[in-house]
Amino acid sequence: MQYLSNLWADAHGAILEYLVQPLMFRIGLTTYYEDVGAAVELVMLGATQILVILCVFRPIERGWSGERWSDPRPVRVDVTYTLLNQLGLLPLLVFVVMLPLVDELLDMTRLHGFVLPTVEQLVPWLGRNPLALFLVYFAAYDFAGYWMHRLQHALPWWWALHSLHHSQRQVGVWTDNRNHVFDDILREIWLAVVAILIGVEPGQYVGLILATRLIESFSHANVRFGFGRVFDKIVVDPWFHRTHHALASPAEPHIHDRNFSAVLPIWDILFRTAVYDYKPRPTGVDDPGVDADNALGWWGQQVAVGKRLGAAIAATFARQRTSRAT
Amino acid sequence: MENPYICNGRAGIVAALLRGLAAFVVVLGCAGHGGSGVSAQEIETAIVLNSEEASVSVVDRKAMVQTHKFTVGREPHHIILTPDGRDLVLASTVTNELLFLDPATGIERRRIRNIVDPYQLGYSPDGKWFVTAAFRLHHVDIYEAKDFRLAKRIFIQSLPSHMAFDKASKTVFVTLQGTNSIVAYDLATQAELWTAPVGEAPAGILVLPDQKSLLVGLTGEDAAVVVDIEKRAVTKRIPTGRGAHNIFPMPGGKRILITNRIENTISAIDLATLSVVDTFHVSGGPDDLDFTPDGKQFWVTQRFRRKVAAVDMATRQVLGTVAVGRSPHGIFINGPHTVLRTVEPPAPAGKRP
Repeated sequence: MQYLSNLWADAHGAILEYLVQPLMFRIGLTTYYEDVGAAVELVMLGATQILVILCVFRPIERGWSGERWSDPRPVRVDVTYTLLNQLGLLPLLVFVVMLPLVDELLDMTRLHGFVLPTVEQLVPWLGRNPLALFLVYFAAYDFAGYWMHRLQHALPWWWALHSLHHSQRQVGVWTDNRNHVFDDILREIWLAVVAILIGVEPGQYVGLILATRLIESFSHANVRFGFGRVFDKIVVDPWFHRTHHALASPAEPHIHDRNFSAVLPIWDILFRTAVYDYKPRPTGVDDPGVDADNALGWWGQQVAVGKRLGAAIAATFARQRTSRAT
Repeated sequence: MENPYICNGRAGIVAALLRGLAAFVVVLGCAGHGGSGVSAQEIETAIVLNSEEASVSVVDRKAMVQTHKFTVGREPHHIILTPDGRDLVLASTVTNELLFLDPATGIERRRIRNIVDPYQLGYSPDGKWFVTAAFRLHHVDIYEAKDFRLAKRIFIQSLPSHMAFDKASKTVFVTLQGTNSIVAYDLATQAELWTAPVGEAPAGILVLPDQKSLLVGLTGEDAAVVVDIEKRAVTKRIPTGRGAHNIFPMPGGKRILITNRIENTISAIDLATLSVVDTFHVSGGPDDLDFTPDGKQFWVTQRFRRKVAAVDMATRQVLGTVAVGRSPHGIFINGPHTVLRTVEPPAPAGKRP
């Protein structure tokens, strides 16, 4: 573990030292050298995730595949999402949109002397036990993710965005990144605010994000096995998450409103949204308008979902006007 | 809150362990609370602030290992001695705090809150004023050092970075990275005296011994510049290396070292001729440094490598590196100092001179 950690630090340092910092100096942005390290690390995280998917998750999917897929095109679109998101779009969003927003919020509160206590200030023992601190952050982060996910399903305008993720009929390890850009922005802002509120120690942030992303990727895997009836209560496995992607039917109209947890199924168990019946189900959505996403490429999906979002917001306003009139 | 990792064990045992088995000091030393303990000045440590990790590393300089690390606030960047030399003042930038630590062990002794965004900090030479530069929140705070009462908060455009005081403790000079200039404030009245453009992204600043000029490192360029205080203008440019950053007076007071973060070098400038007379090569974006008590080495933080490097000044060789935490920034070397410092710690009574 220490070897991997050192390897990561060396690679990060070398990229900054030999590539990024000289470039920033050349284009006159040296003042911002403190900030660019985080962006470089996000790209590294994305590259690592892609490498793990290619070298570990995909061979597992090929060896123990669950469903047989006839059309490779929608999967290729998901690959495009993953490459774009992890190597460019997400780091850019975080660096250009999220960090400035978060900094502004933090600066405003700090200037007025308002500073939230960190977790290790509240419980000093955690400050001396990095692993325990990591687990606390991990649980808090995942808990926040659970409730965000429930809102994605409960709010019509947010479902209009998030339904793109569910429209895939061939769910596999690449599907995790199939999201509308605006959905990604909202998700990053949500999680960043949570990170501020709980005061995630920056040194642990990388591990937190990497662990979460890898587990989320694998939970989408098209495989015919889970982690067993004990471990699948501890960590979300492909069986558990496949139920969340299940195609709704007259018998189970809200089956996709179950199993929201991204990493720790305890939240679904606690809030009574867990389903552990191990039934194989087809994936996708029962709304033909949303299902039509599968015929589109990356750009087509972004446009179509943008329109869907507009329609959902318009419908919400219309409903409000109607209820006021009556 | 004391750091429970650090305990004063019995002198002989701990001193021996520090030499050979530094990594085990934490565990073994904790077994023996009480006792006379080791004098702070006898422990040869380097205290390193890992700015992106919210932690402090305590390094055993003899064994060249990090003995322990503890979490502290958020974004600790810089560290200085109090005028009496008894405490190290650590600025935790994002949590708006100053932590007062034992210079040898890093044990926290007390904490002052509501010091807003203390990115850079300094005492005036007479010890009367305490000044902070809030890099991100664009202001300079001038406090009365005796009780940390805020005398004045001065909002300024923009990115106040490093600072230097004149010998008479009348003026503080602050570099402004966002406007490529420096500003001078009268400490007694806290009034702005003047500003002057100096070059791209000015950072480290030093009042030269004649008290008539300033030396400023230009991080956005490859040089340091000399600024005439009376003329308020650049009078000389000294090419050093890309990313010229922070400035440190060398032992003896005749030379200074300036770190060149992008060039990965450290230049020695002779203060009489104001020219580069030596160059040290240290990779990893060298940033802050401090000298060993014998004046033969300096230890420098390697921001991109998550390490600190020990450099022999005679041979110009890197003697070794020690892994610490993410983005190590400020560094303080503990010991009975014989070298020139901004504030000299007092020699321990009955010990070395």
